[in-house]
Amino acid sequence: MMDAALSLASTAVTVCRHCGDPCTDRPVRRGDDTFCCRGCASVYLLLHNAGLAAFYDCEAPPGVSQRRARRRSAQYAVLDDPAVATRLVAFDAGEQAMATFDVPDLHCASCLWLIERLWRLDSGIIRADADLTRRVVRVWFRPSSISLRGVAERLSAAGYPPVVPVEGSAGAVPAARRGLYLRLAVAGFAFGNIMLFSIPRYVNGAPLEDGFQRLFDILNVTFALPVLLYSASGFFTSAWQSVRLRKVTLDVPIAIGLVVMFARSIADIVTGYGEGYLDSFTGLVFFLLIGRLLQQKAFDRIAFDRSFRSFMPLSVLVRGADGLRPTPIERLTEGDTIVVRPYEVVPADAELIDANGAVDYAFVTGESRPVALTRGDAVRAGGRVVGRSLTLTVVRPVSHSRLAALWNNPAFARPKRRWLTDVTERFGAFFTTFALLLATAGAIAWWPDARMSASVATAVLIIACPCAITLAAPITLGTAMELFGRVGLYLKHGAVALDLARTSTIVFDKTGTLTTATDGLRAESVGLSDDEWRLARRLAAESVHPISRAMAAGDSAHGVVTECAEHPGGGVAGSVDGRRVVVGSPSFIQQQCGVTPLRPAALGPSAGIAIDGTFRGWARLIAPPRDGIEQAVARLGTSYDVWLLSGDRDEEAVRWRRVFSGRAAFSQAPDDKLVAVAAHESTGSRVLMVGDGLNDAGALAAANVGMAVSDDTACMVPACDAVIQGRRLPDLPVLLRFARRARQVVIACFAVSILYNVVGLSLALAGRLTPLATAILMPISSLTILAMGAGGMRWFGRALPREAAR
Amino acid sequence: MSVIVLLIIAGGLVAAGFLAAFAWAVGSGQYDDMASPPLRMLFDDAPADSAHSDSQGASHDIRR
Repeated sequence: MMDAALSLASTAVTVCRHCGDPCTDRPVRRGDDTFCCRGCASVYLLLHNAGLAAFYDCEAPPGVSQRRARRRSAQYAVLDDPAVATRLVAFDAGEQAMATFDVPDLHCASCLWLIERLWRLDSGIIRADADLTRRVVRVWFRPSSISLRGVAERLSAAGYPPVVPVEGSAGAVPAARRGLYLRLAVAGFAFGNIMLFSIPRYVNGAPLEDGFQRLFDILNVTFALPVLLYSASGFFTSAWQSVRLRKVTLDVPIAIGLVVMFARSIADIVTGYGEGYLDSFTGLVFFLLIGRLLQQKAFDRIAFDRSFRSFMPLSVLVRGADGLRPTPIERLTEGDTIVVRPYEVVPADAELIDANGAVDYAFVTGESRPVALTRGDAVRAGGRVVGRSLTLTVVRPVSHSRLAALWNNPAFARPKRRWLTDVTERFGAFFTTFALLLATAGAIAWWPDARMSASVATAVLIIACPCAITLAAPITLGTAMELFGRVGLYLKHGAVALDLARTSTIVFDKTGTLTTATDGLRAESVGLSDDEWRLARRLAAESVHPISRAMAAGDSAHGVVTECAEHPGGGVAGSVDGRRVVVGSPSFIQQQCGVTPLRPAALGPSAGIAIDGTFRGWARLIAPPRDGIEQAVARLGTSYDVWLLSGDRDEEAVRWRRVFSGRAAFSQAPDDKLVAVAAHESTGSRVLMVGDGLNDAGALAAANVGMAVSDDTACMVPACDAVIQGRRLPDLPVLLRFARRARQVVIACFAVSILYNVVGLSLALAGRLTPLATAILMPISSLTILAMGAGGMRWFGRALPREAAR
Repeated sequence: MSVIVLLIIAGGLVAAGFLAAFAWAVGSGQYDDMASPPLRMLFDDAPADSAHSDSQGASHDIRR
């Protein structure tokens, strides 16, 4: 964002006072301040008038751009419904109530400051409390003076629109997390105390005076029991689950190791043979739990699941006797007449009442080509309305769970083969058999001596516990995920980093990926002479429609407008230099001039232009490529097989063909993209598909790694494995190199832990694996892995782009 | 020497006390959000202040 601001400064473009985005077209001015859109300006005014201008007293404007905010008055009407309200309201004591909202836009200290002063904006709000980790806001309010809907609208007006959860309650505290802290605390407590009681014996070299050794043994067993039964229980349940599924994961040898360790210790203590391995046992559980905690923390930053659920409709407009009324979709009954607006999802199986319309099923099938409908056609739940609002009759109401199931369509949910799961599964089976065989071999070798036989066999199983290996992946990948998240690449799972590292082919989509989706749109003339284009652009400057604004962008066209009328939804008509100019949709031109232009299918978003009553040509939207993207593609081309699959029949094909050294295909339908990606995959190359997820959801799902490009973090795509912020895309070569480093670190950790195992196993087979040797070897190996994983990734992370994105 | 036994038991009890205190802190939700409280303490005025006593310039210094 910073570089964009700098490069634009020379052309006298200022940044928005509220959100810091460059004010490219039609900036809004209020006094000395400039805003990128009216939304930002109104938030600024609201805060200023409430005496909260200190919100802006930090380095960069902290606000969230309101340009894409969809402020619909009815958006929060659903909160008036008690059934929905109970999902948010934690308690309602009559005079005071408390509600919890999910607010995905919370991101910094300034957000926190502002939210906690929300009471200044409305006297009905008593206090508000923000939670940056889970991006949740709790609001205490007086139901007598402000409704729940009012609170939500206040939050929205302050620039932080809450997301109403589809099911469940907002911001539920993950119970598993609290449990993990407690398990870790119990293990740490036991580890420390048992170590304390074990050291005297190690120093002494022989059992202590009888009374003390007995006391210490009893204490050790007392402390170790809760570790076995409570702290380590997660490892036993997951090992049991994997055994039942007939899969040997690495949890199996861990569980075997832990059980053998504990049983052997008890046996040693009871028979008076030795002091047992309880210190190593508790220490091992402690380190393993640290690994789990680090992994959890990395997950916390990414609210993947919640974000894609926010696409789901909560309520729908139902036409009743008293006009349109928002109704929760659970209340829909057969025969209701509903109105679904563009980009909204049809919440039930329905039938079209309007003469015609269009929907796409991108979320259900991955196919985003709109389906044209005529009156009486069936529309399936999950379709997204394209173009204009549709009026429908409900044929079959649909439950939320079925809608959620549509989202979790097998095409999207199909589990991908992850390299890490493959390796750990194979390794788990190998490791378990190897340890068992070696233990048997050891027992046989020492056989006549039954005592040594048992001792060696158990020692092998204890030391062969692959704790360092199980620590390596979560710690390294958790750190990598966190560092990726800081620069604007969000992975669905840590293991995705390893698959990114193994990428051999990169396939790009064009529109919205290589080109910008929203900012800096321009339009070009199709079939008009220069002078006609000038007239059209001059008229377009009078209109607020996106295509008109794109036409008028850049150096201004001269001309005298004597008459101008804008028809919302149609176009603009007026007189420029005495000539009658009409810019708008084909039907608008038909209505104004009596001729119906036929729009070529491949034209894309465009407006027709008629001058003096005859149709002259089109204005077509073009999107400029992102800054630095061509260099990035060129750099990627030196080490990867880079392809372009574009849905457009492109005017700029020649240029893109050159950038991609001819490896470019145009006019690709979503299905063609899917087939192309699948073809690459079947020849053994591992494909990274980069697309915007709108017309290539299928290809994203088919690729080894599907990376969705988003200019708006709140908007995520169900089919992808990773989401990258649009302005980070030119940094893709650096990000991929970092992913390769992550893989190297994981492999190095594996190597080191195998080395420890070799040392430990030779000690065990020689019958010399004393409790002291284990007590030293075990923590050292775990700590080395911790340092290598977390430290190594942070070291390599210095190469990542500096500026934190949000 | 039996005094050592006493000390060990006392030490264990103290440690167990801290473990219990930690368990209570986790259970009461103090570990649910570790990002906001360290920032919140840097703001000068508490949200409970009245609107008038809260001058506009009072809270900007830390976030620069």
